[in-house]
Amino acid sequence: MTAAAPAPKTNMGQPVPRYDAAAKVTGKATYASDMPLDNPAHAFLVTSAIAKGRIDRFELDDAKRVRGVIDIVTHENAPKLKESKLFSNGGYAGTTIQPLKSAEITHDGQIIAVVLAESYEAAREAANRVKVSYTAAAPSATFDSPGTTAAAAKGQNSQFKEDPKVGDFAKAFDAAEVKLSVSYETPTQHHNPMELFTTSCAWMGDNLVIYEGSQYVYGLKNGVAEQLGIDADKVRVVNPYVGGGFGSRGSMTPRTAIIAAIARRLNRPIKLVPTRDQGFTIATYRAETRHEIRLGASRDGKLVALRHEGAEVSSRPDAYCVGGTKTTTRLYACPNVDSLVSIVRADRNTPGFMRSPPEVPYLFALESALDELAVKLNMDPVELRRINDATRDPIDGKPYTSRSLMACFDEAAKAFGWSQRSPQPKSMSDGDWLIGYGCAATCYPTQMAPSAARVRLQRDGRTRVEIAGHEIGTGAYTVIAQTAAERLGVSLEKVAVFMGDSDLPPAPVAGGSNSTASTCSAVMMVCDQIRHRLFKALMPSDSLADKAKETVGISPAPSTQAAKGDRRLDIEKAFDALGVGVVEEYGEWKPEGAPLDSFRAMHNGQVRLVGGHQMKDQIAYAFGAEFVEIRVNRFTHEIRCPRLVGAFAAGRIMNPRTARSQLMGGLIWGMSSALLEATEIDERNARYVNDNLADYLVPVNADVPGVEVIMLSEQDDHINPVGAKGLGELANVGTNAAICNAIHHATGQRIRKLPVRLENIEL
Amino acid sequence: MPDKPGSRSSGFDRRAFMAGAAGSALIPITARAASEDARAPAAQDPSLPVEVTLRVNGKDKRLSIDARTTVLDALREHLKLTGSKKGCDHGQCGACTVLIDDRRVVSCLTLALAAEGQEITTVEGLATDDRLHPMQQAFIDNDAFQCGYCTPGQIMSAIACVKEGHAGSEADIREYMSGNICRCAAYPNIVAAVKQAAPEIMKG
Repeated sequence: MTAAAPAPKTNMGQPVPRYDAAAKVTGKATYASDMPLDNPAHAFLVTSAIAKGRIDRFELDDAKRVRGVIDIVTHENAPKLKESKLFSNGGYAGTTIQPLKSAEITHDGQIIAVVLAESYEAAREAANRVKVSYTAAAPSATFDSPGTTAAAAKGQNSQFKEDPKVGDFAKAFDAAEVKLSVSYETPTQHHNPMELFTTSCAWMGDNLVIYEGSQYVYGLKNGVAEQLGIDADKVRVVNPYVGGGFGSRGSMTPRTAIIAAIARRLNRPIKLVPTRDQGFTIATYRAETRHEIRLGASRDGKLVALRHEGAEVSSRPDAYCVGGTKTTTRLYACPNVDSLVSIVRADRNTPGFMRSPPEVPYLFALESALDELAVKLNMDPVELRRINDATRDPIDGKPYTSRSLMACFDEAAKAFGWSQRSPQPKSMSDGDWLIGYGCAATCYPTQMAPSAARVRLQRDGRTRVEIAGHEIGTGAYTVIAQTAAERLGVSLEKVAVFMGDSDLPPAPVAGGSNSTASTCSAVMMVCDQIRHRLFKALMPSDSLADKAKETVGISPAPSTQAAKGDRRLDIEKAFDALGVGVVEEYGEWKPEGAPLDSFRAMHNGQVRLVGGHQMKDQIAYAFGAEFVEIRVNRFTHEIRCPRLVGAFAAGRIMNPRTARSQLMGGLIWGMSSALLEATEIDERNARYVNDNLADYLVPVNADVPGVEVIMLSEQDDHINPVGAKGLGELANVGTNAAICNAIHHATGQRIRKLPVRLENIEL
Repeated sequence: MPDKPGSRSSGFDRRAFMAGAAGSALIPITARAASEDARAPAAQDPSLPVEVTLRVNGKDKRLSIDARTTVLDALREHLKLTGSKKGCDHGQCGACTVLIDDRRVVSCLTLALAAEGQEITTVEGLATDDRLHPMQQAFIDNDAFQCGYCTPGQIMSAIACVKEGHAGSEADIREYMSGNICRCAAYPNIVAAVKQAAPEIMKG
């Protein structure tokens, strides 16, 4: 056992190595741009150098003279595409801003031309020789920029239904013994998955194959088909491996349909490899947000009033909504709650999901404010959370399906050595370094969506699982293979899993941390269908079923539920009884409470996520607690984070190895969101400044000396058949607050705007 | 990087090429300013195919390529060795790292012509007879990746890190592996993998 493969506790699966491990260490794992194409034309994008205005004229002669140039496509000669609706309005797109549609420029870095050439080198050179004349208008970049408009989110975005409220906040706040009123800010951030936003399109007659890293192959397939005006069955999206997603590949981006349309006209496959800097404007990003938090409490720390007002930046045409108040109004017991989310429109590309989209910015505000309240009350911040721990949803009164928040705090505090903390700010140091300890809670809604699967079992136990799930690094192949092996009672080596292909049975978007719960529940159900058939073959009469174990040595229960004395179902005997060579079953699973149109929507590439606070009688969240040590140099103000400790409870842990890795990566993401990551925007021109991996800071190995992940044993029988809560987006929430809380402890300075740079420290 | 005598098959002078073309063509931003080149005599046109022989994973590969082709694009687009990955094309992320004469090099910033006559090792060249290289095995054992996209570069870099003598402590490994970005942030597991594989690699 290595640290990477912790021994399973109760209700945890085996920490088997990744299903795709050998492929990934040998270079055999094929990502979208690795797929072979027959004599492709290479595409290179030209993107706009202004954020608002019009294209007056293209000068293309110089570019066309480059040897090997095939064509240059602009709005003047581009194939026409049908409109695509935003995903939150029943469509597929992450933005309604369409490239090459007109001369209008809506944001910096908008795709304005596609250069096609025989080689990548020629396409790149020609793209750099394209000259564009613009008439520029003054753009609005962000909050406070002239020309922005603001309005309540409710009514603008169908996914943001309600501003949660309960009781009488104003009255309770007025009367509160202790009050806190504070503001926080979080910046624009970009996912920057390692794999670029590449797209390859190849037509075979009327059929289109798209190789593109996607977190939702059914969404992409249906979205591109809609834009091209063709039957969705003619489109196939293939991506067995995805080089990181983090939300950036969840909804359709504008590049895909236009590349497909150009390939059709050219009658030749096209390979597009956009640059890293283009990735900042041709996909989505995390919106910047602002928060006003008001807390009222009794002197003994009981919350009596809580108000969270959030404002978020989106694009002119699209009301993307972060909307984290659904979580921050429900995390702690409080009788009087109020909230409001509003959206500010600026001349930007449309933001979108980025790992824990609502929770990262909104819990930064709430968990920082809790720490400020603890200081005001002269109370340990862990104890303040214990006093306000909830057993029911404070808004709707529904009970939590399970909630191990304080158990997580206690485990993590112990591992971290929280008891060694002297509570006074600036009271701990080591030579030139001021030391601070800080903590925060994390939580993430447990979500599920309908999913289908097909499973084929052979007489010798070889099993093939087909499901259009996505391997974005989460370990999806591995946990699906484990589920099938356990359920059918075959050895793991005999299970083959096929994913990342829209010709396979539909699975939901790999987003909202729903994948494991949804896909494994579907696979489990289909394996049970197979078991049922085999069992019936051996035991045709129901009345004999009870005696089955004694008479022929089989059990109707799958291996995961079998009692100790049960013997495994004898697959060979069952096959002989059935007289077949292969047993194959297809099935469609949907979570409790899924809407009536769920399965139809699933095939149409539209997700019907259920769970979180939207369950009928209960509320389902995963929880965790995070502790950090921060060191601030008293002379240079350099900030270091030598230790991150997190404890998490997320129902059944399917594989402690892949789960630990995701949580570990999440903690590092959380640190990064506090200390490193921000996309800087030039407010005069509404253009991104640091659009590359040298200037947009992401963590490197030297940034993270010590990370400890603790997984708690938790059983939850109310959420889904697998009993798993999503955890891919659990660990990077709250870390930003824990770090600012630790900085306050180290320096006495409260920082309310992310990211924290050394120039923000005043000593 | 020492030249190996007699290794050049095309008769193309690498140094002359570097002086003439690298500055103007490889870096797109100056390509516009250097538009004179496009009208220059054909002999100096970088888009004209150039014959080159690359030695990759112990085998000579003869190619006819645009003179501006990087080692990374030569591997991926011309030799169909897609293990090495493009993550930035700017030498900022390390996903394209290969070994050239045993040194770790970002192949996106190395012209294919400049690598002629040198030994290029990619991730595809590490395993022998289905036996994984110790570093590959260590990456599996320590779950040192998630999405896997940066992994080939991490592994090549890790092998060089050990051979350079920079794997003596965890702090050293962290420092000398910081040229390879892993956005999934498998970093602590990468450190553990390098630590595990180091003794076996040093043994030879």
